[in-house]
Amino acid sequence: MKTDYRTITVDMMEGVVLFTIHNPPVNQMSPQLSEDLSEAVKEAFDDADVKAVVLTGTGKNFIAGADITQLKLVKKREEVFQHALAGARFLNGMETGPKPFVAAINGNCLGLGLEMAMACHYRVAAKGVNLGQPEVQIGLIPGAGGTQRLPRLIGVPNALDMITTGKPIKAEKAYARALVDEVVPQEELVDAALKAARRFITGELNLKMRMTRNTLHRIPSAAEKTAILNYARLMASEKAKGYIAPFKAIDALEQGLGFDIEADIEKEVGFFSDCAVSDVAKNLINIFLNTRSAGRLKRIEGIEPAKVKKVAMLGGGVMGSAIVHLLLQGGFHTILWEISEEALQKALKALRKTFEYPIKKKKMTQADLEGMIHDRLSTTCSLEDMKDVDLVIEAVLEDMEIKQDIWKRMDTVCPPHAVFGTNTSALPITDMAEVLHDPGRMIGLHFFNPAHRMQLLEVICAKKTSDQTLATSVAFARAIKKIPIVVHDGPGFYVSRQLGGLMGGAVYLTADGVNPALIEDAMVEFGMPMGPATLADLTGIDINYHVNRTFEKRLGERYEVHPLTEVVYRTGCYGRKTGAGYFDYGGEKPVPNQKVVDAIQQYLEENNISPKEVSKQEIVDLMLANGINEAGYMIQEGICDRPQDMDLAMIYGTGFPPYRGGILRYGDKWGLRNVYEKLLEMEKQYGVRFKPADLIKEMAESGKTFYPED
Amino acid sequence: MKEVVIAGYLRTAQSRSRPNDPARDWFCKMRADELLAKLLPEIIERTGIEPKEIDDFLVGCSTAVGEQWAYGGRFPVFLANLPETIPAKFLDQQCGSSMACIHVGFMEIAMGFADIVLAGGYEHMTRIPMGAYPTDKGLIAANTTLFLYPSYQHWDMMTTVNMGLTAEKLFSQRDFTKEDMDRWGVLSHQRAAKAQTEGFFAGEILPIEAEQADGTMVTVDKDQAVRGDATLEGMAGLKPAFKKDGVITAGNSSPLNAAASSMILMSKETAKAKGIKPLATIRSIGFAGVDPTIMGAGPVPASKMALEKIGMTPSDMDYWEINEAFCIVALNCMKELGLDPERVNVMGGATAIGHPLGATGVRLVGTLARILKEKEGRYGCANACVGGGQGVATVIEREDYGW
Repeated sequence: MKTDYRTITVDMMEGVVLFTIHNPPVNQMSPQLSEDLSEAVKEAFDDADVKAVVLTGTGKNFIAGADITQLKLVKKREEVFQHALAGARFLNGMETGPKPFVAAINGNCLGLGLEMAMACHYRVAAKGVNLGQPEVQIGLIPGAGGTQRLPRLIGVPNALDMITTGKPIKAEKAYARALVDEVVPQEELVDAALKAARRFITGELNLKMRMTRNTLHRIPSAAEKTAILNYARLMASEKAKGYIAPFKAIDALEQGLGFDIEADIEKEVGFFSDCAVSDVAKNLINIFLNTRSAGRLKRIEGIEPAKVKKVAMLGGGVMGSAIVHLLLQGGFHTILWEISEEALQKALKALRKTFEYPIKKKKMTQADLEGMIHDRLSTTCSLEDMKDVDLVIEAVLEDMEIKQDIWKRMDTVCPPHAVFGTNTSALPITDMAEVLHDPGRMIGLHFFNPAHRMQLLEVICAKKTSDQTLATSVAFARAIKKIPIVVHDGPGFYVSRQLGGLMGGAVYLTADGVNPALIEDAMVEFGMPMGPATLADLTGIDINYHVNRTFEKRLGERYEVHPLTEVVYRTGCYGRKTGAGYFDYGGEKPVPNQKVVDAIQQYLEENNISPKEVSKQEIVDLMLANGINEAGYMIQEGICDRPQDMDLAMIYGTGFPPYRGGILRYGDKWGLRNVYEKLLEMEKQYGVRFKPADLIKEMAESGKTFYPED
Repeated sequence: MKEVVIAGYLRTAQSRSRPNDPARDWFCKMRADELLAKLLPEIIERTGIEPKEIDDFLVGCSTAVGEQWAYGGRFPVFLANLPETIPAKFLDQQCGSSMACIHVGFMEIAMGFADIVLAGGYEHMTRIPMGAYPTDKGLIAANTTLFLYPSYQHWDMMTTVNMGLTAEKLFSQRDFTKEDMDRWGVLSHQRAAKAQTEGFFAGEILPIEAEQADGTMVTVDKDQAVRGDATLEGMAGLKPAFKKDGVITAGNSSPLNAAASSMILMSKETAKAKGIKPLATIRSIGFAGVDPTIMGAGPVPASKMALEKIGMTPSDMDYWEINEAFCIVALNCMKELGLDPERVNVMGGATAIGHPLGATGVRLVGTLARILKEKEGRYGCANACVGGGQGVATVIEREDYGW
């Protein structure tokens, strides 16, 4: 048979042919691989010397999914449908063909990869590999038989769980659930698969019996199916509001799981196609792709990041201890500095606490943690100990003088190549860097709380930050598994100011007589994890107030503190930390805090404002218009310039609903003209706070979008 | 010892199972326990007792794996929403499972430990296929040493676990022709078709609304495998099903089926007190072990035992129900016991009606009781061969219940 393929190596061994897929970077199912595979399979079918086929991948991947960049290109549902159907039929043909296929699952077996493995007649997996149907995470469902074969192999409840959450399972669990037939050490994988192939040849394993489609005993009865899927739909409506795919997956199971699997798969392909052309999927696919390319800026293209091996962490508070967590897990030698031995002990305690969850979840043991601390962490109260570090991260008190003092010391102690990162969330980094001999070595590394859990790292370039410093910082962010979003220095940088813009309209509505509870509901229904009042209670009403004052001082009249903000601040209820803010947290469930309610009421009465009825959509429009406007200002001020990064930052940093694609994507979808008109209307009603940015005006007039048409 | 009567008998129709083409099974979208759960409240009501009066529930199934695992018999109790006070036992005597339920229920009542016993059986041979399937899927795992160690070679496990091969072996050891078997098979279909047409089975089948593969609803009220047009020529043309030069074909063996069956046993005195007219009185039970490679011989010693225990002989029986797992089983039993073929399986046998393994025992005894009534016979014996080399038998008497 033919042996030279671009993406497949062919080895013939005593009647068994071994297909090794090699299609970097992740063995994704590209058009080339798909072409090669269909030809190779046909050759195997036709070659009388081939009695069985073993299919395996290379490196860390078996097949880690379809090539979604290809999917992005298709626009018409019918086009998607026909393409996907052809793929599904190819797998049907493999399953029902004359030769046994054994999947030797060497690595990630995801999406189309798992669908292909399930169309094989026997599955051997290497220890620890991941198997899953993650499609739902990018707004899709399996589209090559996954919703029909997976339940046959592992039962409907388990399959539903994998398909509707997209979470993969390890080989060991896959074995326990009978998704794979054997789990063996990686080095024995191909041998085990060859052995299984020979069992087909000797007749010990029966091809027909081993076809997944002929598995009957896990198909639910009609009554069970109704019961399980109704339940699943109920759960999904609670957990997956705004998304489409989980519901389509449930539909695929409901309309499928009959006794004509090919008809059922065709229905699945239909649901897959519905998803593929939806805005939600497009948004999620863009987020997925943009996440991979976050931080890959032209500015640092070709610059080799400096090797970071040892990192100094200055300050072991909430942020510092969580950052140490990241450093240890990232394999960095870490030196933690605190002001006193007592503070160090406190920091270590806080550090250990951040590991409670992974230990409880058995991702690691207490001994692993202690070993890691012993091997990689040292502590000190002396700043002189930072002589051999490659990176310093500072998270001490938010006080310019204190910070600058420390940086001056670092400037003399640390080696010249060391990068200086400050975790300040409010102070101007450009100013901070002025105390250094070379301000180019300083950069902002703005972690989000809780730092060991939040995926975002806002990387802030000060005026003089060097390209080398930036390149090293971005590489470091990737090394600690963060998504680096690069922005420029300015009050609140990008995320805080953008969030302030998005939530900042609330006070104007409240001051106009709109019920604050309705604003909360509207924003939660829009998809934000919480409304503006709940968020303020969490971050602290006093903190917000001071940030507001800073913005007012540095950014001018648009940011003037609203009198009602002042009123609420004066109540002295600062949020969760004081037990009450907008809400009272004394009871089992938060209830509106009477003190604040009264204060607002008094304000309204004094200003002769009566209660105002508005729709939730009107609220959302005002809030979003204000948010988009803020983005416009930040772009024109040069704080940031990459819409995809800005959207990612809001999604990963603030929980902006991913299915909406991001705040700018939402703006494009809504239409900049609509945004602009809404802003003009609001400006008239509420004043300069809503004055459209020149950029928004220009975009509205020229019909431009933040994203180029895709 | 108390006298024990059959106070009620009800079954579902027996659909024809086809694991290779599930959509053609009328019950493809129902589990066997769902079928059983439909029967139980109905038989209780038809018999005229209160659910809480039931002292024990005994249920049997031959391949009690996957969805047929019954939590010791409690799942059917739950599914039928019967009172929690009804205890349950799950009995597995393979093809004799639900007859074993009758046996145990009989003994419980006879000895005075129970007064009313609900018995049942179920099997869905599309959804849980027999044979290699459950082994391949890991649902059952026979001890491999039985197949491999010389010390176990005499069991000849490859034949022992393959019912078709046991039938071939029994045939090879007896003096019948393939045509004898085929002829009996045709007769079985003709008798069953006639009984079906005349409405005999309607008296024991609860019609079930069942969703079909295409989503339509069908009322299933007759046995799916019965073919009134079966001919000897047609039978002769069928290929051997189990070995190349074999004689056992799909025509002279029972088909695969899905069904559930149920029966209510009680002491005669309770039936009388309640004014319930029994179908028959249970007189004796029998069970025997035989060479597993010719398990089809099992009914002979089992029937002998049941009869000897009460001092009777085969010729005392008016009618027989012999489970036609394979026609050779019935032929062998008739010859060994000297039976008149006109008194055996008069409403057709498993070749036509079907053999949903775990549900069969109750079907045999229940149908026999109704035959005695229909034909005004007095004594009858129902028996079945059992995979693994056993036989089971039950002797009943139709009396004139003067209340």
